Amino acid sequence: MSRILDIKNLSIDFTAYGQTRRVLNDVNMYVGQGERVSLIGQSGSGKTVTMRTIIGTLPMPPGKVESGSINYDGQSLLDLNVQERNRLKGTGISIVLQDPMLSFNPVLTIKRQMDDIVRYSDIRMGRYRNKSDREAHLMDTLRKVRLEEGSRILNSYPMMLSGGMRQRVLIGMALLNRPKLLIADEPGTALDVTTQAEILQLINILVAEEGLSLLLITHNLGVVREMADRVYVMERGQIVETGTRDEIFEKPEHDYTHKLMSAVPILYGSKVKTMEHEGLKPTIEINHVSKDFETRGGWLNRVTGDFRAVNDVSLTIQQGDIFGIAGESGSGKTTMAKLILGLTKPTEGQISIYGRPISEFAGTQEFRKLIQIVYQNPGSSLNPRRSIADQLAVPLKFTGHNKAQIKTRVGELLELVDLPQDYASMYPHELSGGQKQRVAIARALSVNPKILVLDEPTSALDVLVQSTVIDLLHRLRSEFNLTYVFISHDLSLMRNFCNRVAVMLRGNVVEEGRVADIFDAPSHAYTRALLSAIPVISDEEEASKPKLKNEERDAVLATSTALEV
Amino acid sequence: MSIFEDPDVPLRGLSSRQMASYRFRRNPLALIGAFIVFSVVFAAIFAPLLVPSTESAGAFVDFRNRHAPPSWNHPMGTDNVGRDILSRVIFGYRVSLGLVVGVLGVAVPFGVLLGLVAGYFGGWTETIIMRFTDIMLALPPLAMALAITAVLSPNLINAMIAITLLWWTWHTRLIYRIVKGQMNEDYVEAARVAGASHAHILFRELLPNCFSAVAVKISLDAGFVILFGASLSFLGLGIQPPTPDLGTMVATGSEYMPEMWWQAVMPGFSILYAILGFNLLGDGLRDMMDVEL
Repeated sequence: MSRILDIKNLSIDFTAYGQTRRVLNDVNMYVGQGERVSLIGQSGSGKTVTMRTIIGTLPMPPGKVESGSINYDGQSLLDLNVQERNRLKGTGISIVLQDPMLSFNPVLTIKRQMDDIVRYSDIRMGRYRNKSDREAHLMDTLRKVRLEEGSRILNSYPMMLSGGMRQRVLIGMALLNRPKLLIADEPGTALDVTTQAEILQLINILVAEEGLSLLLITHNLGVVREMADRVYVMERGQIVETGTRDEIFEKPEHDYTHKLMSAVPILYGSKVKTMEHEGLKPTIEINHVSKDFETRGGWLNRVTGDFRAVNDVSLTIQQGDIFGIAGESGSGKTTMAKLILGLTKPTEGQISIYGRPISEFAGTQEFRKLIQIVYQNPGSSLNPRRSIADQLAVPLKFTGHNKAQIKTRVGELLELVDLPQDYASMYPHELSGGQKQRVAIARALSVNPKILVLDEPTSALDVLVQSTVIDLLHRLRSEFNLTYVFISHDLSLMRNFCNRVAVMLRGNVVEEGRVADIFDAPSHAYTRALLSAIPVISDEEEASKPKLKNEERDAVLATSTALEV
Repeated sequence: MSIFEDPDVPLRGLSSRQMASYRFRRNPLALIGAFIVFSVVFAAIFAPLLVPSTESAGAFVDFRNRHAPPSWNHPMGTDNVGRDILSRVIFGYRVSLGLVVGVLGVAVPFGVLLGLVAGYFGGWTETIIMRFTDIMLALPPLAMALAITAVLSPNLINAMIAITLLWWTWHTRLIYRIVKGQMNEDYVEAARVAGASHAHILFRELLPNCFSAVAVKISLDAGFVILFGASLSFLGLGIQPPTPDLGTMVATGSEYMPEMWWQAVMPGFSILYAILGFNLLGDGLRDMMDVEL
């Protein structure tokens, strides 16, 4: 098999603040003609640097190629001049970026943005096509990515399309000039799992149809299993293991690959950890709760109607439960969190904690000592300009502790989340993502609450870090008899972490029950659609996923643009 | 995403202050700016010890030496009554910097406070504060300052009051915009959940996130306040003779242009020198602290 892309002994250094660090060390990899190759690794492993070096967008300086070569189709990419290099863009190598919103210019129509690509590449290639030819080409391309209403989409602005459609248009843009090598950088990870599944399927079909070679860059092992023939595992700028997909997934040899594999939460099969404990007594009772938000518009920004974010939800969370609230974006799960925390008032219904309606005492010291929250992104939930000790002290300060008490408590808290004492004087940017999340957990625990609301606490973290944070949460729960309300879109994680789960769809709870019951015998079609869309890492799991028909899927996913395969 | 912003590999052993000072030290223009500002402030503070003739700062006449061109004895020449221009410039810096401290010392805290309150509370508070700010911004500054100093008597204090009344608006707008952005960050809600008071959130959580922008703005402002003060005195509505003031000196000296050019050009150049210094320093600080104004 001929090699379309061949990277040999590539080493890259980065220099900043007078320090030089090697970010890629002697990387060797290749992509064969028509092959699907995946490069996996955690954030900071160097996979994005590799990609950017290939497409020629690595900023130099601070980057510097120390040694090695990149060959594409017989040409040495690092030796080409800018013009020769530009000629390859889109026509030789094309890329699908991760975030379908950020990759568009919001003030130009899709047509203009796609047409520009065609026009400029025509100029570079010395071709000429008139406007209607170009438009016909755009329509063809959109049809290729299974977008049937071509003309409507061409005349839309990016914000008028759903996330899945935008991602499809992006893929279409990458294919406009019939590239030979497609690079996909975390495709679909910014999307909901049901949409992501469709996108992955689409890329797979296109690679086969168009005879493309694919280089897939991702941290999601489930995606790799569905998308790759061959895999490279990268750690700290080095390729630590390589092999065919089955070799890597069935008998990984390197320790790091092992660790990665075992950190991924398992959805089905014998390795699943089931939390079987039952709650003791009702702790949070949610009674027919609804929440409306006003929508505004028109002249003078008048109220034009109501948007129902949460619709008639009733749940009972028992003491000691790890209660999962699952749902995709827009399902109302975050609104549920805010309602439980008393940060927003329900339009209808009532929430009680230990038998007391929270409307009676939300915002009081007593309430704060009962329930606290850990946010999704510690980068945002920690104040960048305050030291760790200062931030841990806030809840204590406002529950009447004096300075000496605060100081000892901060020390205790750091110990509790396994952080060294000298971190107290550090600032958030000096900590890694996982460490920051530990600080956020410590802050939530500082006043000894009985209930923690966990709003996707690990979704911003790498899978290895995620598993250590989950272990910490387990330990803290048994140590302090905590009750967790765990809000997430990651069902694999919930399967292993929660003992009860409620699945939300557009403000409604469609299903609720013990975790094993929900996952083994999902009764609602939406739950089945969610579960079947999750990329898993073994055949055993794949076989156990619930099956559902396309019509069923379409019926629940009204916004979906499901593929017919 | 740059490697150095990567969430899981913070640069070991470098605090944010060290990184910032590294960026500053490598910026030649910022260093020049810092040097100029330092020299101006130093000269102003130690003026009596540095100047060739202290008496030139006051109502002193020496008609034998009037209109003397720049020489070793008088590096910037002498003026129409024989006073040493260099001495008067250095004492003029004292007045200018006094103006800067007076104006910004009042306008900045006031503007920052209003911006914080408007951004944090929103709603009607925001509407009232920000629309009032807009009205103040709509007034032409020099015309307003002229009107105020003309109604009151023209002197240093009144010039200061006039400039202060117009200056706080920029800080309100700047802080308001920053706070509005920060309100989307979870740490504000986290502080609320932790039971923090409004005062705590305003001054302990939000204010530290405004510091770098305010520092840059103050440094850029300083130059403009000096210029504004000089413009007022040039028009005769600022500091009155015999107090040495750069604007007044340019005005008097311009009558002897072009033959005795040094009398206007030297004070004019001194204004330029100080403003350039503050602006370069401000730009350097902006790059160093990575803020947008």
